[in-house]
Amino acid sequence: MTKDEAVDKARKDLAQRLKLDGSKISESSVDDADFPDMALGAAEEDEMSGQMMTRGWRIRLSADGQGYEYRADKNQVRLYGYKGKNYRL
Amino acid sequence: MNRNNFLVHLALAIVLILVAAFFGQLNRWRKQWSMHIVTMEEKKRPQTSEEIAIADRAAGRPEVLVKFKSGLSHDAIEALTARLNDRVEDLIENAPGWAAIDDLDDASPAATVEQYRAMPGVEYAEENYEINIPDQVTDATDISRVRTGVMLRPKDPMFSDQWALANSGQRGGKEGADISATIAWAKTTGSEDVVVAVLDTGVDYQHEDLQANIWTRPDGMDPYQDDELGSVDDTYGFNAIENESDPMDDNGHGTHCAGIIGAVGENDLGIAGVNWKVHIMPLKFMNAGGSGTTKDAIEAINYAIERKKAGVNVRIISASWGSTQRSQALEDVIRKAYENDILFVAAAGNSSVDNDRQPHFPSSYNVPNVVSVAALDRNDQLASFSNWGAKSVAIAAPGVDILSTWLGNSYEEKSGTSMATPVVAGVAALVLAEHPHMSVEDLRRQLLSSSDPIVALKGKTQTGGRINAAKAVE
Repeated sequence: MTKDEAVDKARKDLAQRLKLDGSKISESSVDDADFPDMALGAAEEDEMSGQMMTRGWRIRLSADGQGYEYRADKNQVRLYGYKGKNYRL
Repeated sequence: MNRNNFLVHLALAIVLILVAAFFGQLNRWRKQWSMHIVTMEEKKRPQTSEEIAIADRAAGRPEVLVKFKSGLSHDAIEALTARLNDRVEDLIENAPGWAAIDDLDDASPAATVEQYRAMPGVEYAEENYEINIPDQVTDATDISRVRTGVMLRPKDPMFSDQWALANSGQRGGKEGADISATIAWAKTTGSEDVVVAVLDTGVDYQHEDLQANIWTRPDGMDPYQDDELGSVDDTYGFNAIENESDPMDDNGHGTHCAGIIGAVGENDLGIAGVNWKVHIMPLKFMNAGGSGTTKDAIEAINYAIERKKAGVNVRIISASWGSTQRSQALEDVIRKAYENDILFVAAAGNSSVDNDRQPHFPSSYNVPNVVSVAALDRNDQLASFSNWGAKSVAIAAPGVDILSTWLGNSYEEKSGTSMATPVVAGVAALVLAEHPHMSVEDLRRQLLSSSDPIVALKGKTQTGGRINAAKAVE
C-alpha cells in the first residue's frame, strides 16, 4: 500500500463512521512516523503484535471541527483512539 | 720474456680465471640449493596437532592464555611473566584481563599453565587450545585466524556488521559493547540437539542462511494430533492462524528473529546466528501485518509443549511480541511450558515505559520460566524505545540496528525489543548446547547471573546488565 492509498482508505473509513460526505473530511497532516510495534501502537483488544519499530505514516484528518488520527504502513491502516478504542481497517 | 713464454703465461692466467669462475659459480649453486631446501622445509606445514604445537613453540607463538586479576597494570603483568622467562605476546582487547603468553623456554603448555595457576595475581590460565578447524579451512591464514586464542570469528561475509556479536566500534559504536559471542564460540557454536521454537509470524524455512538449521519433524514421528484439528502434517512446524501445517513467514519479522538465534555460521553466506548450529522450530501465530490473537499464541505454545512431550527437545520459546492486555489463559499455558522445562524469553515492549507500573504481557507474567528482555543500542545505552522495569524486566540485550535474515534470501537491519529477545533465546540455546541437562530454573539463573553490569541499566532491570554469552557458557 502506498501513502496515497493509505490516506484514501482512512478518509473513506472516517466518512463512513461519521456518516458524512467525503468532501466534509479534510486532511490536517500526513507525516512519516516510527511506531513502537507492528500494530503501529494501535493494537485492538486481544491483539498481540511484534515488538519491532515500524516505519509508517501518521495521518491526521478532521471533520466538523474534530481531529482523528489514523496510522498506516505498507501492510495496514488503523484508526487510533477512536472513542477510546483502536480499530484495524 | 720471449714471445713463446708470454703466450704460455697468458694461457695459464686464462685457465686460472676460468677455474676460479667455475668454483665461484659452484659455490653460488650450492648456496641457492641449500636455500631452496630451507624454503621447502619452511613450506612444509604441520599437519597433526602435535606438529602444530611444536611448530607453534618453534615460531614463538603464545602457548598459554592467562587471565590476570583485575587492577593489574600492563607493567605488572609483564613483570610477572618475565619472572618465568616468558613474554606477553598480546593483551586481548575484547577480553579484559586476558593475555596470550609466549613461553621462551618452550616448556610444555600444560606445565606453563600450572606455573601460572600457582601465581597469586592470576585468575585463570589455560592452554592456547586447538579449536576444531572446519574441513574446508585449509588456508594458512584461516588456520591462524581460528587459532588466535580464546576467540572464534566466522567468515560469514556480513559478520562485520553484526555489532551485537562483536562490537569493534563500527558505525560510531562502543568497542566491546556486545554479547562476547566470539569468546563463547571458542567453547561452543551450538548444537542441533537443542530446539528453539520461534513463536512469531512464521519463519522463511527456505532462506539459504537458515535452511540447514530448521527443525523438521523427525522420521518415524507421527504427525501432530489435535483433539479439534485432527491430524496436522507438521513437517516444518505449526501455523496456528490457519490451524494447518505450513508456518511459512509472510511478514519477515519471524525470519529476522530466527536468523538472530541461528543463521548458519561459517557457511560463506550472509550472517552468523548466536548459534551456528541449532534447530529452529517455526511457529506461526501472527499474520502478514505482524499481529495475532491470544488464542492463536496459546495454540502454538500448546503445540510446542505437546511436541516436547512426544520427544522433541524443545527447551526455549522465543516470543518477540506482546501487548498491555493480561490473559490468564496465556499465563497458564506459559506456566505449563515451565512445568515441561521450557524457557520462555519475551520482549519487554517498545513504549519507553516502566513495566513495573505499566505491565507488558507476556513478559510481565510472574512465572519462573519467563525472561523479560530490554533493548540496548551499540553504545550500551538503553534503547530510546525500550521498556524497562527494576522488578519486571530481567536483562538487556542488543536490539538496535540488528542485521538478520529477511524474506527471499535477503537481510535487513531492524530495531526493537523483538530483536533483543532472540539474542537472549540464542544465548540460552548455546548454554544448553554445553549443558544439555540443565533445568529451566538453572538455565534462567545462569543467563541472569552471567550478565555484564551496564551503568545505563542500573535500577532499570533486575540484573542491571547486558547478556554475556561467554560467561553464560562457562
